[in-house]
Amino acid sequence: MPKKLLISIVFILTLLTGWGGSTHFTTANAATDNSLTKIQKKGTLVMGTSPDYPPYEFQATVHGKTKIVGMDVAVGQKIAKDLGVKLKVKSMSFDSLLVALQTGKVDMVISGMNPTPARKKNVDFTHLYYQGGYSIVINKSDKGIYQDKDSFTGKTLGAQTGSTMYTESKKQTSNTKVKGMTSVSDLILALQNHKIAGVAMEKPSAQAYVANNKQLAMIPSHFNLSADDTVAAVAFKKGSTALVNKVNHSVDQIKNQDLVNKTYLPAAGKYLKTNTVNTSMWHYWKAFLTGVEYTLIITVCATFFGFILGVILSLARMLQGNPLKTAIRWLATAYVEFIRGTPMMVQVMFVYFGLGLIVNLPALTSGIIAIALNSGAYVAEYIRGGINSVDAGQTEAARSLGMSSGATMRYVILPQAIKNIWPSLGNEFITLIKDSSIVSIIGVSELIFQSNIVRSDTYRGVAPIAVIMVLYFIMTFTASRILNHFERKMQHD
Amino acid sequence: MTKPIIEVQNLAKSFGKNAVLKDITEQVDPGQVIVVIGPSGGGKSTFLRCLNLLETPTSGHVAFNGEDLTTLDTKRVNELREEMGMVFQSFNLFPNMTVLENIKLAPMKVKGLSDAQATQRAHELLQQVNLDDHADAFPTSLSGGQAQRVAIARALAMDPKVMLFDEPTSALDPEMVGEVLNVMQELANQGMTMVVVTHEMGFAKSVADRIWFMADGFIQENSTPADFFAHPKTERAQDFLSKILL
Repeated sequence: MPKKLLISIVFILTLLTGWGGSTHFTTANAATDNSLTKIQKKGTLVMGTSPDYPPYEFQATVHGKTKIVGMDVAVGQKIAKDLGVKLKVKSMSFDSLLVALQTGKVDMVISGMNPTPARKKNVDFTHLYYQGGYSIVINKSDKGIYQDKDSFTGKTLGAQTGSTMYTESKKQTSNTKVKGMTSVSDLILALQNHKIAGVAMEKPSAQAYVANNKQLAMIPSHFNLSADDTVAAVAFKKGSTALVNKVNHSVDQIKNQDLVNKTYLPAAGKYLKTNTVNTSMWHYWKAFLTGVEYTLIITVCATFFGFILGVILSLARMLQGNPLKTAIRWLATAYVEFIRGTPMMVQVMFVYFGLGLIVNLPALTSGIIAIALNSGAYVAEYIRGGINSVDAGQTEAARSLGMSSGATMRYVILPQAIKNIWPSLGNEFITLIKDSSIVSIIGVSELIFQSNIVRSDTYRGVAPIAVIMVLYFIMTFTASRILNHFERKMQHD
Repeated sequence: MTKPIIEVQNLAKSFGKNAVLKDITEQVDPGQVIVVIGPSGGGKSTFLRCLNLLETPTSGHVAFNGEDLTTLDTKRVNELREEMGMVFQSFNLFPNMTVLENIKLAPMKVKGLSDAQATQRAHELLQQVNLDDHADAFPTSLSGGQAQRVAIARALAMDPKVMLFDEPTSALDPEMVGEVLNVMQELANQGMTMVVVTHEMGFAKSVADRIWFMADGFIQENSTPADFFAHPKTERAQDFLSKILL
């Protein structure tokens, strides 16, 4: 699947972490290539993939449990089996895969990935395990109007953002607008709503979509592509020569025996069928429940830690006196300004991938940390405002009774400040319920992530969105009722 | 002669270029009731707030029981503040706590009293200011006079040796001034050392042991009420009295 790593992400991470350290890291690895023994010692092989691209990889419900299946997973299983280790599949967005590989979040990436020269600079690829082709999916009603890529003059063609298809569609068509979207499910939805006239994608995927959606049809793309552009290989961290050589044996076997076409694709097709037998949203209630669960875990934890951080930051911002206190105040101010001045999405990626170079944090933990760090900066400003809103006479009264400045803050000022800013804090909590969706980019199975999976599993574009809309509203509305209840309880004047 | 409980030496306080207090040297003996009077803007409140270091003096010394507050660390200053209760013009009750909780807070958090001990003491004090039936009310439901009496009870809960009153009746409706002054008079009768900044000349006349007349950042006169009101010595005091007694 020739989707491409978003150069921008790497660029950002390069800026933030300093590529020097990372290059040094990989060179050191190459010098003492223990990549193979490391995996064998560990006993598990973590495979990163983006399970929204049937039949390569997608989620299916097997015996009531959701799992990632597809031909790439079969490839991964064969590799793991040949290495004598257990396979663990980790899902994340395609754009994040190579960064995850470089930062050691995963050991290998099999996601229909195309070994382009740009990617080869950053990771090592095995031999090819599959060679496919490209097709264009159109609405069945338009059959006859479009023959191939050249038929879309004056129309819009869709392709997955950052993919080879996207680049080639731009290059190889004239007077055709190319619309990029992150997920293929969205593209199909846009197609059915006649926002775009066709979607360029890999042939096996196109076949899967057409087979499962009676309103779709496929036409050949006739893109002029080099052999390299239509192939898939397994990616490993740069400098893992020993590991790559070993895995090449497995890959060559797959290629020589045509295992993909003979065994893996038919098996994947069966999962696809079971997926589309029942596409009612009820059938997927477990997936949505998981989403709600994770959204709430992230929100509650991030709010809790964000609040603590906010209190500390707000107090630090009010320090006055000796140079040390001034320095702390300056740091706290700089932190607040910096966090407020950078997108939360970048912060989430930075915590997961950037800090990942130092400590290996799970995606959920990283997400909570990133959102708490972000929320803390905002809460700090609310609290500072709240503290300033408490009459100076309150402090004087408390101090005149012999209370220390700390006790005064804790028992007299903060309770009143928090009462004053309660509506703002509530607002922040509700915003976090919604904003926690950002962590879907690092593969945390919160509500947005889950809905995307349901969408690609069921080939239904709108229904899952409607479901999560209602679910989000239920959560935020309940939260605001609860917050109002406490607000009334605090009202004494 | 007993040892003075408060000694002020060459006290001065400026806010920026504005010198509010200029060289004040006085002392308060145990059991004395001092009433500080004088024209507005003369530095009376600032002077009072310097006594428990709510304002840090620009220069000079303030000693409590022989300990110079201006040289002590924050911890010791906090401890000495327990000994000096203060009552404010605007009451400054904690609006998020009941009357009882207002009184109990400092004894429990500072003195480490148990909840039961603090509650018992709070009820005693509320009886003393005739407000025990309002123990569970929130400050906003109280009249000004009631609120100020609670504030007095709250300050007394720390068992202070001295009480500082900063215009305690200035924010009150006229009909409520009496109830607060009565409480203060009772306290004086019980022998409490008090420094009172007020415009209530009647109270000054009947309760004060000494009148300190303050204007332009100085204590211009220090005399008995009888002397002060009958024969003010300075022109500044004569002028002030002629205006307020008219």
